[in-house]
Amino acid sequence: MDSMSPGTHLWLSYAGWEACDRDEWEERFAKLARGRFVGQVPRIAPYDAYVAHLGVRFTTLRQWQDIPPVPASAFKSHDLTMGPPGSELVVFETSGTTISRPGRVRLSDTSLYDASLLESFRRHLLPDGAVMPAVVFGPTRIEAPHSSLWYMCDHVVTKLARSGVWIVRDGNPDWDLADRTLEAAVSEGTPLLVLGTTLLLAAYGERLQAAGHRFALPPGSRVMDTGGAKGLRAEFTREEIERMIEGSLGIPPTHLVNEYGMAELASQFYDDSLRAHTEGRPALPGKTIPPWVRTRVLDPETMKEQSEGARGLLVHYDLANFETPFAVQTEDLGTIRDGRLFLEGRLTGAEARGCSLTFERFLEEERRA
Amino acid sequence: MNPAFYLPLGLEEGLETTVQRFGPAHEALDLHLPVVQNEDLLRWIEVLREARGTNLAARPIQEVLRSLDKVTRRFLDRKDPARREAVESLATFGRFTAAMLDRSIDDAFQPLARNGLSRWIVTELGSVQVLDRPAEGVRGTVRRARGPEWMLQIYAGNVPTLPVWPIYSALVLKAALLGKTSAREPLFAPLLARTIAEVDEKLGACLAVVWWKGGTGGLDRTALSAAPAVLAFGGEEAVGSVGRQAMPGASVVLHGPKVSVGYVERRALTFAGIRGLAARAAHDVSMYDQDGCLSPHAFYVERRGQVSPEKFGEALAAALEEASKDLPPVVAEEEEAAGVQLARAQARFESAGIATVTRVLESPGSTAWTVIVDDRARFEPGPTRRTIRVHAVDGPDEVARVLAPAARSIEALGLEARGPERLKLAARFADLGIPRIAAVGSLQNPVPWGTHGGLPRLLPFVTWTTVDQVGGTSGPAKAPGAIRRRLRAAGIRRR
Repeated sequence: MDSMSPGTHLWLSYAGWEACDRDEWEERFAKLARGRFVGQVPRIAPYDAYVAHLGVRFTTLRQWQDIPPVPASAFKSHDLTMGPPGSELVVFETSGTTISRPGRVRLSDTSLYDASLLESFRRHLLPDGAVMPAVVFGPTRIEAPHSSLWYMCDHVVTKLARSGVWIVRDGNPDWDLADRTLEAAVSEGTPLLVLGTTLLLAAYGERLQAAGHRFALPPGSRVMDTGGAKGLRAEFTREEIERMIEGSLGIPPTHLVNEYGMAELASQFYDDSLRAHTEGRPALPGKTIPPWVRTRVLDPETMKEQSEGARGLLVHYDLANFETPFAVQTEDLGTIRDGRLFLEGRLTGAEARGCSLTFERFLEEERRA
Repeated sequence: MNPAFYLPLGLEEGLETTVQRFGPAHEALDLHLPVVQNEDLLRWIEVLREARGTNLAARPIQEVLRSLDKVTRRFLDRKDPARREAVESLATFGRFTAAMLDRSIDDAFQPLARNGLSRWIVTELGSVQVLDRPAEGVRGTVRRARGPEWMLQIYAGNVPTLPVWPIYSALVLKAALLGKTSAREPLFAPLLARTIAEVDEKLGACLAVVWWKGGTGGLDRTALSAAPAVLAFGGEEAVGSVGRQAMPGASVVLHGPKVSVGYVERRALTFAGIRGLAARAAHDVSMYDQDGCLSPHAFYVERRGQVSPEKFGEALAAALEEASKDLPPVVAEEEEAAGVQLARAQARFESAGIATVTRVLESPGSTAWTVIVDDRARFEPGPTRRTIRVHAVDGPDEVARVLAPAARSIEALGLEARGPERLKLAARFADLGIPRIAAVGSLQNPVPWGTHGGLPRLLPFVTWTTVDQVGGTSGPAKAPGAIRRRLRAAGIRRR
């Protein structure tokens, strides 16, 4: 049964869900969500205690929306994995949320995780079925073993690309290597798949512009960038990033796809730009919520469901989270319009406001002491 | 339209102004601002320096004090137009409620009234006259105190009346002042400057208060590279960058982000006193919606009192509910509310398992206040919005252990204890280097003759002329560099 092992996962496919009508879809999600909940609670002790503490019982659970999400910060204070310690294949460290030490996501079986990330990546970055060499503006998985992002890129390169070059080595970007790789692609006329963080890509773009250099990567080249949407440090608007990528790499905005993800979730959310271009239609705004994920938007003041289009706190229910709680309360703010997700800021902490103190700074103090 | 700047007469002429939207999206306000260019700043600084030479440098200190006393009285008079405008315009701006603003203005100006200003000067400089001429000060030394020619002050926006003592300090030191406001609260400082100008034109001629977007480089650099004295408040990054850009040789005092805590000794936990104690604690938490550096984020409460730490938590929750009626919180921005909800969910998560959190008490249906009762000591600043942790402890040692690594980030400790025990505990916490030990309920009422961030408010900007007594034994000369070392030890940097 699905709740006991990842098993076969026919439901991890966009096509499978698209074949359903709205009611079937809803019914199917509700059933799978309940199964996931019932399977996880007895096997994740802190989640079990939390659910009991809140007085939630399987028997009285009316709808999947009543399944309590774990706060993202709980990954930092508690071990929230089904498998016993030592059984894990990978350990991802969480970042960005603001309570105590980095959180850990231990996975002893990555099959669902892998299937989810490949399905969404293929759908949004390779809708034309292209297979091309990849260049990753980041480190290899070996260099960054606890990063879910670099795990994902590694996996994409291995499974979906023809070859891979990693630009970050020993923690530093090797810009010459980037130049050489892009030059080769231009001279051979081979389209490139570029993966990386928005910040690193922007840094590279700025460097090229400062040097007065512009690559005209062959048509079909595309970029997946991530991080910028969460409003980390990025002082760039999306339009500026688009101009920068087009101006420095010669890749038009139709082939620039932004991703939103987090270590606590197995699934990712992508822009529609390239898929729309391939299908010859205008791009839908916002990000695609994979059909095996439901995102609720709550009024942060009352924790009640927001109406369509109103900004609120995001809670994700991701069926591809098999070993760790599949319902996660984030610090991210956003809206849902026409079934698509719009990220609109994230908790920035009190730092920006003057006198108060953020957890990050406290941790810095702690480390210094 | 709200003019959110103050420039002395003459400088306003021909000034290009613009309208900018400030504040949270749901209640943004249009403010009237000057368009500030590098050349403007340099010209203003020049004009301010000249005005100071003509109007202030040689002015008897008593005249300055008399004018500032008038300003103080105006702000303490609830019917005065300046005070009314301050409360109304800031309340419209939406960061603070009118009740909070009234309280904040009283708190800031009351200690300056009735000779408070002189007391402050005497506490730091030994006498008021030293600001005019060499005069006898501490232990018979004859000396003259001189302030900088002009000061650059950069304000934070978390406490509306924060600019009060800095602006007074500049004028007391007979320094001209260029003040830069925060986008979060750009109204109070210009209003105070305008009122000073109304009361005393000559003082007003030496002041300019404007806003520009900080951290963008150009304007910050222009002001900082010229300022002989800098006093800045703000986030870690902002004050860090101020420190790096200041002119070599400038007197620089930086106040970065801080929070406060409270400690309740078990004998203070009586059935009879608990309600009053909780009300005072709730006031400290509620002021400025816990955004101030004097806002407590945790109360460490001793076990074995008549009232248990958990009961203290309950009483505090009830008092916070009461306080939210007298001092209603402002509408939370979504980010802030989201932070509170995450902290609550995390606390509930911890209270469910083997972790030590025992209770989460919260305002129903809103993020107005939250009390998290924890069975062990730790230091974990919260998301503000009146989110307070109550930690049960056996004694001060536990608390010292958790505070020690973060002591640099703590501005004050509210201490509830009586008699000799209070002194013993105060000594224990003073050892950690916490700059201020106050009573619970008066954390938000610092006095100007006390320190800010552990530093005096005037002294860092004063240079002295000492007149040696003829024939007296002045003792062996101090080793060269001793003063600089002492200043450095006190956290004051002269570069």
